[in-house]
Amino acid sequence: MKPPTRRDALRALAGSIAAAASGASCAPRVSDGRVEASLWFAYGGKNREVLLALVAQFHAAQDRYRIHATYQGDYFEALAKLRTALAARAAPALTHVIGEVIPYLAEAGVLTPLDAFAGDTDFGLVPELAQARGFAGGDQRPLVALPWNRSTPIAYYNKRIFRELGLTPPTTWDELRAVAEKATVRGATTRWGFECPIDWWFWIALVGQAGGSIIEADGTPSLGGEAGVRALELWQQLVNRDRTMKPPPGRDYNAWQVANTDFLAGRAAMIWTSTAFLRYLEQNATFEVGAAPLPRGVRASVPIGGTLFVMPKGPPRAEQEAAFAFLRWMMEPAQANAWATRTGYIPVSRAGIAELERSGFYREHPSDRVALDQLAFAEPWPWAPQLFRIEREAVQPRLEEAILLGRDAREVLDEARRIAREP
Amino acid sequence: MKPRGRLHPYLMLLPTAVVLGLFFLYPLALAFKTSFYAWDLLTPPVFVGTRNYAAIVSSGELAGTVGRTLGYSVLVVTLSVTLGLALAVALNRPGPVYAFVRGAVFSAYVVSWVAVALLWMWILDADSGLLSTALRALHLPTRSWLGDPGVALITLALVSVWKITGYAMVIFLAGLQDIPPSLHEAAALDGAGPWQRFVHVTWPMLRPSAAFVGTTSLILSFQAFDVVRVMTQGGPVKATTIFVYAIYEHVFVNLRVGRASALIVVFFALLLGLTGLQLRAFRRGTDRA
Repeated sequence: MKPPTRRDALRALAGSIAAAASGASCAPRVSDGRVEASLWFAYGGKNREVLLALVAQFHAAQDRYRIHATYQGDYFEALAKLRTALAARAAPALTHVIGEVIPYLAEAGVLTPLDAFAGDTDFGLVPELAQARGFAGGDQRPLVALPWNRSTPIAYYNKRIFRELGLTPPTTWDELRAVAEKATVRGATTRWGFECPIDWWFWIALVGQAGGSIIEADGTPSLGGEAGVRALELWQQLVNRDRTMKPPPGRDYNAWQVANTDFLAGRAAMIWTSTAFLRYLEQNATFEVGAAPLPRGVRASVPIGGTLFVMPKGPPRAEQEAAFAFLRWMMEPAQANAWATRTGYIPVSRAGIAELERSGFYREHPSDRVALDQLAFAEPWPWAPQLFRIEREAVQPRLEEAILLGRDAREVLDEARRIAREP
Repeated sequence: MKPRGRLHPYLMLLPTAVVLGLFFLYPLALAFKTSFYAWDLLTPPVFVGTRNYAAIVSSGELAGTVGRTLGYSVLVVTLSVTLGLALAVALNRPGPVYAFVRGAVFSAYVVSWVAVALLWMWILDADSGLLSTALRALHLPTRSWLGDPGVALITLALVSVWKITGYAMVIFLAGLQDIPPSLHEAAALDGAGPWQRFVHVTWPMLRPSAAFVGTTSLILSFQAFDVVRVMTQGGPVKATTIFVYAIYEHVFVNLRVGRASALIVVFFALLLGLTGLQLRAFRRGTDRA
């Protein structure tokens, strides 16, 4: 056989481009006799290992489907790639996105309704974590999302420092200020009493605690009104006047990582972050890690965070069925619990939680209970397509301005409201 | 040379014209069109006239982005050209030590932006970074180099200077080696000192190299993205949201492709103007020379 010439190579290339352009992708991908579905995920570190272990377990448990899991960066990077892929009609069969963006994707008509798949779609999920009650009126809409890594913000504290100073975790805003003051050490080696990323998610917790909500029932983005201002002013008080709270530098998850690192290094006595980091912090701390619910303002309130699985429109039906089979398997109590107990996320299966109660898991790991118990005060997200844009464009940059540039809280939130109301 | 067929010159140009048209002119025309629409990539675009332009002007975003980008560019271009020239003059000597130093300075230019950004993030960390630790040991004040809105852009510019100075140095070295030694000898015989020789011999001969380095570094600095994406993500506040990052943010974070396109159009016009000015200055310079 003569060696391939350059012309052969070009011909092969042209052929493959033509095949791609003519929609040859309508046939499902098959690898060693199994239908293969792609899964784009956004978990790094420990969570990535746990997910990949579950995918391997799924492959061992059946022989019809294969899940091709690909890491796509953090939530926001993965979302940027997903939107581009949707526009280019090259979306994966399965991915997971943060709750705030689901109304937008659903209203844009790019998500596959999950009711359309054969079989029972009552998975026995915790309604606050699922579409049903995780979103206002979520149970009135076609099912487009299934919960997976769901969390609430919780307070982590360094038990050694708290014991030495005779402190207990704060239960009110006033106590938060007092505890932060007592745990702060000023001088050559600084220790911050409190550290919390200047992030929309924690601000929403404070707005809820101050008695407000971001979007009113009629759909107006109020950003909490006076409650929004009080929430932001609490941070300004702690950072700029009390000087007891460190706003971790960096944007988005970079700042979250700094908060974790400072806590582990003993540079912060108490931090607010997601329950998702529970196992990570427990396993990497040289001290005993305590977990506590967030304090109350005029009431107790937390947002739900993390992501839900969605199935973008576009891939061939057979691939979608493979993806859905995987989803169905993941929603089973055993898998939901395997994920939750190895990471710190809240188990999404009601039967799974009952099993953990029965087996005494929560007695042995009381910190895992904190986020679960906070579900009683969880605020559902409004079903507002503009929610994600309000978060990223209107609010997040202005929270930074209020804290880092010391701009007036009322003024920045007025500005944010104006931008939030822009079409 | 006379072409054999009337169409031949055009056919020769065709491949380049097709590539340019497909990957530069067509996208530019598309961006121009999109700048009159509100579009989020997923739902159908809606015609909004000049509202995208009005929005970037009235929100102060255009002025802010232009100001930050120009500030960053001016710092990067002036410092990298000056340092590159100084290094080239200092290192334009034979010997293995000089060769090693030249190689070391140029190596930063070859390393990927992401690696450079990660390295400097580690050096610049406010609490445990090399720089802050050293300053504290000397009892000097230190700051959050990437977390303080007042200094973050300057920090990024200095990191970029560190990275691209090697490039300016190499171009200047080539220019220096083109200067006939007889010119220096003649000037020395006429009694010119080292500084006079630099001002009256070296610098005039290096002017074309300087124009080239200036233009390419200007373009390079306007294209900066990786360093922002990795080190600051445009923050703190908007302190490091320079041109390309602002576009990225609009398209992929704020779901506003139309507004990003309006920014592209304005910056295209701006860069075209700047390049024109620079070319004119360059021509005038060579006319006189």
